[in-house]
Amino acid sequence: MASDSDAVADALVEGAALLDVRGAGWQIDGRRILGDVSFRAAPGEFVALVGRNGAGKSTLLDLIGGLRGLSDGDILVEGRPRREWPARALARILVHLPQMTRAEVSFSAEELVLMGRYPHASGWMDSAEDRAAAAAAMERCGCLQFRARRLSTLSGGERQRVLLAACLAQAPRLLLLDEPATFLDVEQQLQCFQMLREEVARGAACIAVTHDINLALTFCSRLLVLSDGRLVADLPTDTAVDDSSWLRWFSPNLAVTRTPAGRPWVYYT
Amino acid sequence: MGSAVAFVAAALLLPLAGPSSLDLGRAWAGEEPDRSILLHLRLSRTLLGLFGGAALALAGSLFQSMLREALATPYTLGVSTGAALGAVLAIAFGWHTVIGVPGIWAGALAGAGAVLWLVVLAATKQRQMSTIGLLLAGVATNSVCAAMILLVHSLVGMSDSFAISRWLIGSLDAVDYPALSVYVAVIVTISILVVRQARQWNLLAVGDAWAATRGAAVARLMLGGYLAGSLLAATTVALTGPIGFIGLVVPHVVRTRVSADDRVLMPCSFFLGGVLLAACDAIGRMVLAPAEVPAGAITALIGGPYLVWLVRRRM
Repeated sequence: MASDSDAVADALVEGAALLDVRGAGWQIDGRRILGDVSFRAAPGEFVALVGRNGAGKSTLLDLIGGLRGLSDGDILVEGRPRREWPARALARILVHLPQMTRAEVSFSAEELVLMGRYPHASGWMDSAEDRAAAAAAMERCGCLQFRARRLSTLSGGERQRVLLAACLAQAPRLLLLDEPATFLDVEQQLQCFQMLREEVARGAACIAVTHDINLALTFCSRLLVLSDGRLVADLPTDTAVDDSSWLRWFSPNLAVTRTPAGRPWVYYT
Repeated sequence: MGSAVAFVAAALLLPLAGPSSLDLGRAWAGEEPDRSILLHLRLSRTLLGLFGGAALALAGSLFQSMLREALATPYTLGVSTGAALGAVLAIAFGWHTVIGVPGIWAGALAGAGAVLWLVVLAATKQRQMSTIGLLLAGVATNSVCAAMILLVHSLVGMSDSFAISRWLIGSLDAVDYPALSVYVAVIVTISILVVRQARQWNLLAVGDAWAATRGAAVARLMLGGYLAGSLLAATTVALTGPIGFIGLVVPHVVRTRVSADDRVLMPCSFFLGGVLLAACDAIGRMVLAPAEVPAGAITALIGGPYLVWLVRRRM
């Protein structure tokens, strides 16, 4: 396992990593879904959480996001166990975008994005500052033009962009995204990951679950590979070509090469 | 805003509607019987309609947001049916007054309390309350109470049976002012508490996980919302019987026509629900005068077709 990114994290925050997952595990009805997962994430990291179906990717993301309770281990945010954080204070640091959000919501796109401001605003009405933050987030996600439309009238891709904007409006430092590129066409997938990379460049950390390995290799800085509830590989994407042993966790029929631009690229053999 | 104006206008105008003619000048001058008709029959009844309709519509919008279920009503979660069961038992056993309170009111509140306790107990698992748990426990309790009402109904004699049928339709009657003022104080207090939390209801209306990762205390909100909605519905059912459709139709209309934002939806539902029930009651006093059609029958007759029309238009 490559440890350069861990070293960077330690140097930046001196032990209090933005996110520190220590031996996290989750089980239900005596069945272990996730076990002994440990890693840290620091500002400036764009982590792709990959693995086959049922590997435990979404479960891990839910544990970090607090949507499920840990069975074992601990998850620390800025050095403090996440269960000790007041909910609103934590919501100003991390945001979670679930895989599926109900489509038949009667709210307008703008109303939904403004909900991201809830942990920041104590008033009953939205302030001018909240509206500006929501508009800026919608602008960045390319959905400002349908701000007044109801969510239930938008297409899957449009809806996904609105949900992303709601996450950005929350001004988080750690973004947890479960398949953020779902429903997006190729151009929009690229835009989405490009935008996330910009967020990371501004000092956020991002952990994205994705099935698109090439999207992950092109835009992310680090790969976490889960298999059968275990963390089986943790490597910087830059070294993904030199040591391709991580590919076996997906399929025996894969190989990795470099694109003309020098990024790793996985193809079928 | 417009809905608040309509609410006040209804309070001023609807007492004038009724089977016997009323001379405002004579009532103002304190001449009988006009003064008594206005003050003790029409005005108190109109106020009961306004606040009862307001409470039902607000409870409906609250439950629709909490449960993310467009068909949720104040009666979905069982408490009102529990109240109805209590009231029906009070009629069947002939309890006219219990410690100075009319037996039907006391029975209704006791029934609502029992169901509230049962549902919270059943829906809570490891001190957490989930939407689906609440919905299942509520709907199950609702069915059990409804079945028990049928059972009691089939066992009692003719005159009690008539009284029960009549009560179950739901109607407004004149109430004395001390009871009315307690009721209005309870409704207004709970309503203010509910509307103050409107942003949290918005978050819950999108999803439990959505609300939780935006910093809302979901379990506490669910319990608080259930208690508040149940109190609104149960106190109203105690005074008027289970009047249907207000809690379903009004929030629906506001959501499709005005806004889904609970900061707008809830106050609008409150005022328009009040206007609708008071108006239905006024219509019921007039159409077959001197006979009265119960307000519960009018709301269903108007509300049902309107809802179908509204839904079809959106399809």
